[in-house]
Amino acid sequence: MIQTIAQKEFVSTLRDRRFAVLSGLVLLLLLAATLVGRASYRTLQQERQLAQQTVNDQFRNQPARHPHRVAHYGSFAFRPKSGLSLLDSGVDSFTGSVAYLEAHQQNSINFSQAQQAGSLIRFGEMTVAFVLQLLVPLLIIFLCFGAFTEERETGTLKLLLSQGVTLRQVAWGKIVGYSRAVALVVAPALVLAAALLFTGEEFTGGPDLVARLVLFVVGYAVYFFVFVVGAVVVSAWQASSRAALITLLGFWILGCIILPKATANLGATLYPTITKAQMDAEVHEQAQHGIDGHDPHDQRAEALKAALLKKYGVDSEEKLPVSLAGVQMAAGEEYSAKVYQQHFAALNATYEQQNRLSNWAGLLNPYQAIRPLSMGLAGSDFAHYVHFQQAAEAYRYGLVQRLNGLQASMGHGDKERRLGADTWRELPVFTYQAPSLGWVLPRLLLPVAALLLWAVGLCWLGLRLISKTSVA
Amino acid sequence: MRVFWILFAAEWRHFRAAKGLVLLCGLLLATGVYGIYYGTTEIERQRQQLAALPELTHRNVEELKVKFPGPADAGDIGYYHSTFAVHHPDPWAALSLGLRDVNPSYVKLRLLGLQNQLYATDNTNPMKLLSGNFDLAFVLVYLLPLLVVALSFNLLSSEREEGILPLLLAQPIRSATVIAAKLAFRVALVLGLVWLLSGVGMAWAGVPLDGRVFSWLALSTLYCLFWFGVVLVVTALQRTSAVNAVALLGVWLALVVLVPSLLSLGVAAARPLPQGIELTIKQREEIHGGWDRPKTETMNRFFALYPQWRDTATIRERFVWRWYYAFQHLGDLAVAPQAAAYATGLQARHNLVETLNLLSPAINAQTSLNALAGSDLPTHLAFQRSATRYHDSLRAFYYPFLFRKVEFTHADYAQEPRHSFTSQPELATAQHGLLKLLLSVAAVYGLGLMLLRVRPVSPR
Repeated sequence: MIQTIAQKEFVSTLRDRRFAVLSGLVLLLLLAATLVGRASYRTLQQERQLAQQTVNDQFRNQPARHPHRVAHYGSFAFRPKSGLSLLDSGVDSFTGSVAYLEAHQQNSINFSQAQQAGSLIRFGEMTVAFVLQLLVPLLIIFLCFGAFTEERETGTLKLLLSQGVTLRQVAWGKIVGYSRAVALVVAPALVLAAALLFTGEEFTGGPDLVARLVLFVVGYAVYFFVFVVGAVVVSAWQASSRAALITLLGFWILGCIILPKATANLGATLYPTITKAQMDAEVHEQAQHGIDGHDPHDQRAEALKAALLKKYGVDSEEKLPVSLAGVQMAAGEEYSAKVYQQHFAALNATYEQQNRLSNWAGLLNPYQAIRPLSMGLAGSDFAHYVHFQQAAEAYRYGLVQRLNGLQASMGHGDKERRLGADTWRELPVFTYQAPSLGWVLPRLLLPVAALLLWAVGLCWLGLRLISKTSVA
Repeated sequence: MRVFWILFAAEWRHFRAAKGLVLLCGLLLATGVYGIYYGTTEIERQRQQLAALPELTHRNVEELKVKFPGPADAGDIGYYHSTFAVHHPDPWAALSLGLRDVNPSYVKLRLLGLQNQLYATDNTNPMKLLSGNFDLAFVLVYLLPLLVVALSFNLLSSEREEGILPLLLAQPIRSATVIAAKLAFRVALVLGLVWLLSGVGMAWAGVPLDGRVFSWLALSTLYCLFWFGVVLVVTALQRTSAVNAVALLGVWLALVVLVPSLLSLGVAAARPLPQGIELTIKQREEIHGGWDRPKTETMNRFFALYPQWRDTATIRERFVWRWYYAFQHLGDLAVAPQAAAYATGLQARHNLVETLNLLSPAINAQTSLNALAGSDLPTHLAFQRSATRYHDSLRAFYYPFLFRKVEFTHADYAQEPRHSFTSQPELATAQHGLLKLLLSVAAVYGLGLMLLRVRPVSPR
């Protein structure tokens, strides 16, 4: 019986001209967003690869230089786009794309796309995720708001029930029917996206990318299911089609527009961010005077010198087999990197506190559950950004310390000498390996749980509500 | 006219009885007040952050005074000393934050090459940037049309659906009067809310009482009227309430969501931006190449630009600061075309949006409010130019010390130039916006009235 009702809803939905127009529009937007996402992915990826290649070549082809000069010359780390980010660009547009890596300091990641897009970006970006998260639910609302109210208004609900069907069966039939219609709209775009992904050069992730895409699709399927069930429940609960539509649109506005913004803003107000200027000043202060304030830089340097002299059993700097400046530079870098790490950890902890409010709001609002899930799977969320930041810093630290090591091995009087051009060719260049799905999944437990809770909770509570609804 | 007021009063009683609508208005008022609260606290926070910067410079100077107890080489000071170019917000920015969170409100500067300092960003939470600002402009541009839709999607259709319209039109009342009275009541209600919120916002933000008060009110009023014009058009089509709701929301979706995001893509494609990163890479090559080039070559290039220092002593030392700063500056000059192209590219994108914002009154309203508050891209570019001039003045201050080998004493710190820049509103942009909004309003009302004339209101 459920199948019969589902088939009826599916067929009559397809025959509805309004649905045809709306779904055609959504499908068109989805396809356009996929193609645009792919095009922008390609340009950005090519630009970044080319730039990374350029700076790598520049680094390798340096003339004879003193290693500390090379440490200041430094390098750049460009953030590669993740394959699935063509579907959901997440926070990518709002984070910088490149970090300048040099001795002594950690620089900000500069040149974000948001800075280059002007205030238009504030209205939202046309990505597949945007269409899936905001517009498809709207389509579902328009599709389902009359599920029960129309049957009641035309008096067909009574007829239906007189056939011996329960309200619950009617509801399930409608949910299944509408779900099929929604799948028909969304599937082509996702198939196109998958085809593009698996035929293009983006397909380097292998099984990891496949698993991500599958979870991505499953996540959205659950999200749409929640909206279909919710809309059918509201339709049964409200007296008239008009009231049902207004209620559903109200929920959509609250959940998709107001709450995400309000929680993000509230989080930022509750946990203020320290400015970069203030943070740099504190880092400098602690690197100079010691993390606890009792271990000043000069004393550390003196102690290091004494220890070195003792180790090699000599009485002056000139007789050391290593360059004191190089050893001190390495110790200084180690210390200041430690200080930087502490401050960056604190900063990221602040951001995470700010975001926590929004993440927990996923329990109240399915949109705020699918958003982090989608970005996380697409590799474009905050955690992935931090991962890149840390990889860039690890490379920077390794490179600078290697150069300091080279300087130390030059022995006393290194300042007057240089190392040959071939030295730089032996140093590793920056390569970035995006984290695997196994790294991501534990971070996405909350949104997954929230989404499942919504699906199960709505089915259970909502259908109880439906079986009690009035027939006439 | 009496009939009009009777209908108007009836609408008021109707509204008071409809708990849902009253709740909705209360909700909008609450979100508006939250928007004002958020905007003012955000601007206050930025002010406090900017106010804390001189203290950082002071601490830096104190540290240098300890490090260099006696007269010092100005080159050392220029290397270790840092100061700030600051971008103070206009009080109006609290009502329309614009891009003040995406772009940093200060730049830390040293005497070194400018171009790898100018684009540094502040600490920002990307998730927060993605979600955007919940300021009063957002409430007015984004949410207010939704209230208009909720209040008026069944303007005439509910009367028809409840069977009242035939009764009403059986009286000696023109259908135009009915629509006018119903619309006028809603316009009065919504404009009352808008003016109340704007007034509270202006008072809370402590804005100066200049012509911008009028401009803000005119912009928000016209924007509201535009949406009531859309309501008029949809009402004139005389469909059912459900169809009206879908149609109005469709228009909202198109103008507030779809057109801006598609326009964003179009503008990016039509005005490709030279990559800022190219500039940084090239500047690094230039500056670090400076170490490897013969000193006389560097100095001759520098003296060609600054002949006043030509007569200074020939450099024979392995390292001397004036040579170092000369190649730092030459690095900046080498990428001057790229820097200019980057800035003009950004401006060109902004200009194209300004030209095309007639497509969506929502974009027009948002950019006009930003222009009024001086929180948009042109203001940031003006700040960057101001910071560049400040860096020039710093160089002009240090060069005599460096080239004439004058010792830098503790008293000289106080002589160093300071920087301050306050956002200036782009009044011309706001006025253009106002005119274009007026055009949009005229267009929708014209269309609505024409439709009503073509298809008289049918009672059923």
